[in-house]
Amino acid sequence: MSVNNRDPLVVGGVIGDVLERFTRSIDLRVTYGQREVTNGLDIRPSQILNKPRVEIGGEDLRNFYTLVMVDPDVPSPSNPHLREYLHWLVTDIPATTGTNFGNEIVSYENPRPTSGIHRIVLVLFRQLGRQTVYEPGWRPQFNTREFAALYNLGLPAAAVYFNCQRDNGCGGRRC
Amino acid sequence: MTQVTMEEVWKDINLASLHPHRQLNIDHEPVLSNQTPNKSIFQDFLNKPLNQEPPPSSSSTHHGSLLAPPATVISLNTHFIDTHFDESAMFGCFGKKRGQDSDDSRGDRRHNRMTKNRESAARSRARKQAYINELELEIVHLKKENARLKRQEEQLKMAEATQHQTKKILQRSWTSPF
Repeated sequence: MSVNNRDPLVVGGVIGDVLERFTRSIDLRVTYGQREVTNGLDIRPSQILNKPRVEIGGEDLRNFYTLVMVDPDVPSPSNPHLREYLHWLVTDIPATTGTNFGNEIVSYENPRPTSGIHRIVLVLFRQLGRQTVYEPGWRPQFNTREFAALYNLGLPAAAVYFNCQRDNGCGGRRC
Repeated sequence: MTQVTMEEVWKDINLASLHPHRQLNIDHEPVLSNQTPNKSIFQDFLNKPLNQEPPPSSSSTHHGSLLAPPATVISLNTHFIDTHFDESAMFGCFGKKRGQDSDDSRGDRRHNRMTKNRESAARSRARKQAYINELELEIVHLKKENARLKRQEEQLKMAEATQHQTKKILQRSWTSPF
């Protein structure tokens, strides 16, 4: 299943702004409450107050994965000079399990966009083995590409994104 | 307020008188029919109140030239409106008083706003298209799964039916052969 130009990740600019082109190699399922996150879904801050349930596929428990959650549209999509904001970082997630089994390096901080419609991206990387990841130190101006390079994570194994705007936003239309 | 309107009227008149001039100077501006005229005319578009829209093709191709408007506009104005040029020279920190300065910054701000709006519109279209594409992918996936589950169901039903048939007929299994 290779990425073509119609792929939502490409059309939505996630590939380009945050990630390189990649071929999905593992299942990634992100659920907030009863809602499963699919690309481009509109989810409001009130629905993502708590960390989602994240389940990953694969077969071998000996393979470990890292999950990164970022907002590339901070402080606003028309002027993202603080790109990217790191919301969550979990490492050492064994295949077939979920984030509950991993190591939460950076705790989940719920997105609260004030201006515009932000993309919130969740990326899964495969680790070479169990590894020590040092917490970045601050959340703004995180760079997923550099982070992956630093820890030899290679290309993403899976990714999904959704759109988030403030609770009383009008979905980009005139109110 | 009145001064602003008058100023625009003056500009309109001056630019109108500019055209016959330029046609006389065909030797000096041979590209009259091609490029340069388009630049200044388009910039005039930008400086007029926005009830007309610039031609869509030129908006992208002339993007480079759009960065130059202030200089050209100033030179145009100084040629015809000397008093206003003096005013603008004094502007500095006086803020947005009437006259030249608002012209330039108005053009700038308008241009800025247009660009931002264009980008915002593009993001909006991308957002919509990405979501649609995702839904289409889901449909394909769900249809496949549905077909698979139906097949599975059929098979299970058939297996159950044959099992039923064998059970309906009473059969001896462990009794003696008579």
